[in-house]
Parts: sequence; C-alpha cells; structure tokens
Amino acid sequence: MKGWHGKILRVNLTSGEISTETIDPQIGKDYLGGRGWAIRYLYDEVDPKVDPFSPDNKLIFATGPLTGTPAPTGNRYMVVTKSPLTGALADSNSGGVFPTEMKWTGFDMFIFEGKAQQPVYLWVNEDQVELRPAAHLWGKEVPETTDLLIEETDPKAKVACIGPAGERLVKVAAIMNDKHRAAGRSGVGAVMGSKNLKAVVVRGKRVPEFADPENMKKLSMFIQKEVGGDIKTKGSSLREYGTAYVPQVTNELGILPTRNFKTGKFEGVDQIDGPSLKEQFLIRAKPCYKCPISCGRDTRVDVPGYEGAGEGPEYETLGAIGSSCGIDNLAAILKANYLCNEIGIDTISAGMTISCAMEMYEDGVIPEEDIGKPLNFGDADTMIEFIHKTGYREGFGDLLAEGSYRLAEHYGHPEYSITAKKLEFPGYDPRGAQGMGLLYATSNIGASHMAGDIAYSEVFGVPVKLDPVSIENKAEIVKRYEDVFTVIDAVGLCVFLSVRYMLDDDISLLPSRLTQVMNYATGAGYDVETMLEAGERVFNLERLFLLEAGFTGADDTLPDRMLKEPMTEGPAKGHVVYLDQMLPEFYRLRGWDENGVPTPEKLSSLGIQ
Amino acid sequence: MLKSDDVMKISVKLLTIYRKHLPEGTVGNTCTLEVEETWRVSDVLTRFDIPNDATSVVLVNGFSPEGDQHLEEGDELCVYSAMAGG
Repeated sequence: MKGWHGKILRVNLTSGEISTETIDPQIGKDYLGGRGWAIRYLYDEVDPKVDPFSPDNKLIFATGPLTGTPAPTGNRYMVVTKSPLTGALADSNSGGVFPTEMKWTGFDMFIFEGKAQQPVYLWVNEDQVELRPAAHLWGKEVPETTDLLIEETDPKAKVACIGPAGERLVKVAAIMNDKHRAAGRSGVGAVMGSKNLKAVVVRGKRVPEFADPENMKKLSMFIQKEVGGDIKTKGSSLREYGTAYVPQVTNELGILPTRNFKTGKFEGVDQIDGPSLKEQFLIRAKPCYKCPISCGRDTRVDVPGYEGAGEGPEYETLGAIGSSCGIDNLAAILKANYLCNEIGIDTISAGMTISCAMEMYEDGVIPEEDIGKPLNFGDADTMIEFIHKTGYREGFGDLLAEGSYRLAEHYGHPEYSITAKKLEFPGYDPRGAQGMGLLYATSNIGASHMAGDIAYSEVFGVPVKLDPVSIENKAEIVKRYEDVFTVIDAVGLCVFLSVRYMLDDDISLLPSRLTQVMNYATGAGYDVETMLEAGERVFNLERLFLLEAGFTGADDTLPDRMLKEPMTEGPAKGHVVYLDQMLPEFYRLRGWDENGVPTPEKLSSLGIQ
Repeated sequence: MLKSDDVMKISVKLLTIYRKHLPEGTVGNTCTLEVEETWRVSDVLTRFDIPNDATSVVLVNGFSPEGDQHLEEGDELCVYSAMAGG
C-alpha cells in the first residue's frame, strides 16, 4: 500500500504480547484511515455494550494516509474508544508533532487491549517495540512525564501521555501529546488510565511511500504557497490571534456561551479576546507539523498569582473557562488552561462542568457545605481551585470529575447540564446557530463542533455565509458537513486548512482537491463520490456502534434550555433550536428510518452489512 | 459642509485582522462615524478599505444585511474576515 503503511500494532496489556498485522487493502481503501479504520476495528472487536473501563474495551490511536506527509496540515491523529463520559463513541482528535512521529514508526494504528497489572508505557522505535514499567511516572503531571520519557528513550522521541486525571479515571480526562496538545473530548484519558497505560512514546523515520511522489510534492507545495500568499496579501486572523479571535465574533452573533448558556452575550468579551491575548501574553505563534497557518499560541503569564507558561488558550477554552463561568480575567483563564494541560483534562468539559456547578450553586440547588465555599459566576480563583480539584478528584472535585450531566443528575436536576449525549457543548449556543444544534444532536460522540462544524458557514462565512438562525436546507448541509469532516478526520488532516483549501469553494463542500491529494498519496483511485461515500460509510458504522450500545433516536436531542427557553438578547433573541423541524429531514437524507436507524438498504449500499 | 439634517451617526466595529483598518488612535474595536443619510453598507467598506466580497462578513445590528442595504441612524456595523474558526 502507498500513503498508508498498511500495518497495525496490537498491544495486549494483560499478557504483554505485542503483535503486528497488515490491514486488508480493500478495508483500508473503503474506510480511508484514522477515524475510519478505528471504528471498523472497534466495531468488529468490541461489544458496544462494554463497560468503558473494562479491559474488554479497546483504545485505538489512528493516523491517516496523509498524516506525516507533505500534505499541508497532515499532522492529525484520532483516539477512538468507548467513552466513559457519554457511553457513546469517543473520537478525539489532536495535532502537534506526535501524530507525524507515530506514523513514521511504520505503523498507521496502535490498538491497545486488556489491562496492565502495573503501570506501563509503550516505546515504539520502528521495529523496537517494548512495554516498559511506568511506576516511576505514575502520579506525575504531563510536563514532567514527557521530559522524563524523552530522557529515558530518545531525545527526538515524541510523547502522548495521561496526567493524574487519567490515572484517577476522571471522566473528562484527556490524552496529552507534545505536552500541550489534547485529544481532549469524551474522557479518553480515563480509558488509558483504566488500562494502566501511562504513555505512548514514538520515534521513527519511516515516511510512507507515495503513489505519485512528484505530483504529491508539487500539489502540496502549491497549496503551501497559496496559503502563504493569502496570508501575505490578505492577512490571517488565525495566524495573528489564534482561535482566540473568535469570542468577539460569536458574541456579536449572540452565541458566545455565557454563564452556563443562560445567554449568548458576554459583557467581558473585550478582556478575553485575541487582541488582549496578543498584547498581554503571547510569546509567539506555534505551528503543528507542516502547517502554514500557525494558529497555536505559545504564551506566558507573569501576573502575580497566575504565573505560568504553556500553549493556549484556544477559543473553546476561552468560552468554557471564561465566558461560560462569567470570568473575564484572562490571566486566570490562561492559568486554568495550563493546569488542565498539566493535569490532563479537557478544557471544554472541565470549564462547562464548573459553570454548570456555578449556576446550580447560585440557584440554591447545590448547598455551600457540599462545595466547601461559595462558587459564584465570575470567581476566577475558585474556578482555578476547582480545575485542580477536578483533575485530582479532591473534595467537591470528585463530583465535578464526573462531568456536568452526572453532577446535575446527582442533585436531581439534569436540566442544568448543557450537554448532548452527556458531552458538554462547545462554544456556540445553537439557538443562534441552528445547524450547530442539529450537529450537536446527531454527532456520534455527542455535542462536538469538530464532528461537522457548520459554524464555518453559519458564523465564519467559509466557504459561504449562511443565515445562522434559519433552518432552511440545514439538514442537508449538516449531513454534508458531517460526512466531509469524517473524511478529513480519517485522512489525517486539520479542518482549518482543509475547509478553505481542500474543498470546493461553495456550499457543496465537495472534496475535489482532497481527493487529488489522496490519489497522489495512495494511488487508490478515489473520485469525489467515493470519498464522500467513504465518509458516509464511517459515519453510519459509528451510528451502528451507538445503536448497539443502547442509544436510540430519542437520544438525538438537546437540553430543554435549547429547545424550550428562547434566547433573551442579541440577534438570536426569541429563538430556540428548531430541532423537531430539522431532524426528520436529516434522518430521511441519511437513509435512516423515523427512529434514526439506518435502513438495511442504506447499509447495503455502503457495503456495511 | 453637510447640514445636520443630512447626516446620521453609525458605529463601526472591525474584528479579526480588520482591526488594523480602524482610524489611528481608536480605543478598542469600534469607532463612531457621521455619514450621509444615503450611505449603504458598501460605502462603509470603501471608507475603511475593506474588500467588498465574500472574504468579508458584514453584520448590521447582528444580522446579515439584505444586499447592499441602506443604513439608518444608530446602526451598528460589524465586519470581520471570513476565516476558519475555533
């Protein structure tokens, strides 16, 4: 195979046995790679009803055929498993340099099964593959773990690991790579912790062969130059401010999550936006491998009480830890971001869970004695304290570590949890972005923007601007976004560049150029239709996993706040999410029955069953 | 010199990389303008040297304008560059 190595590393943590396998080339082609290969294996090998913390659950790290290639932003990998936070699928995506180094070990995918008796880490240096004791690392935070592992393996090794949160089975725990990058969502770090797997360390030089290396290089350089030219002539908000430029935009549209989604307008937005970050704390922009955009932020805080350094914050962090908690103290938000990365927790779910607790406290639902102190919106220092306590499961943090749904349910008021399928919302209030509402309700991991980010069109005007509060054609467009984003995840690219430079420049989102790059890499003879069909195939197989895990169409829903409480101010004033008007059409377009179950004809046409 | 009857006040908020197009000395991201009553959205974009095409997203009082919409007293324009998000 070209583009892919076609090789899988299987690690049985119970027995310590390590084996290598080759993938059936037809499966390889039909499921693209990354997220696609991973669900094919997870579905075939794991009972969807499995307890996520059981040794029978599997944890899959998967790169795509374009990961670690010259394709611009070919630097992503996916972590796929059954989520302990949601009971649904976990599909967490991360960039940085670890994914490229992982691909260059000569394996496309690592499958972890069973459970080690004692803490271990996996060291893969091409053909040298070892499980090594990790007792000396257990309990250590992410930066120290990473430094020690590089010291004891190879100065050029790259590390993905869990922090204390993953070890303690915190349900919002992340897997951190390159110290600051997170496969953050759905509690994948807790699954890694449940297997006593502290880290995965990789080193390699096996760049895959390409079917047409000359054209692969030519087209990749052309796109790099095109992006570079645009940045030079038009400028780039992502390069200039990172994703931190977004709060002003979402605030303008009235969809910036504020005080646990009570409203979409935040009075402190000027204090937490990109220009403030740039002026006060930015050291430099930091790119992932082969990325001409450089949206990463290398930052440092010297403000007394909040000192620290690291990467971030991203927009999602500003929304969850900032506006959703009613906090406009940017230094405190950065400090909390650094803590999340060091302890290994998802900034979105951690921040949103604390904001949920703040509202419940202010409404008198959570008594002060349970928390140990007041927990009001806007209290930055207490927020930081509870980020730490979430990661270490200390005191009230033990309950926060369960995520907002279980927290709210514990007090008999699940309606306070702003989640879909128990996954905390990202930073777009869907009452003012209807397509996002349909996406949150139908994504296979719960409320994720990464599952098909129609905010590109509803908010950011790419490739075309859509009216965010209109539901016209949204079912069709969301379906297309989901299928295309599945493809992007599967091949190993970053969505930021892909949407602008790899898809057609209209709402069809046809992946014409992406298909060209894939063919130069793999020689597999894709066309635009077969690429889209592959995305749909992967999406439907994920759906089957959910249905067999016990989910039904009734779970394709949103909290009452979104469906019954109209937004009170801003451009979305008076709107709820009109899910009932979009969902039936979405099911029909997907070839699913009225209960959200793929029809046998649909599955057959996709070659799934 | 325009007569007071012929002018109106509008505010213009420029976000993302378009902040650089704000007049020197502007505090924050918003400035107030006195303009002729005949002004449309396109006049504001021209005034600030911002591309009047699909690479710019314009909101008038939070909503997408209807074409090259006429402006009214007190209108708040917000303009940002179309770009992948967060």
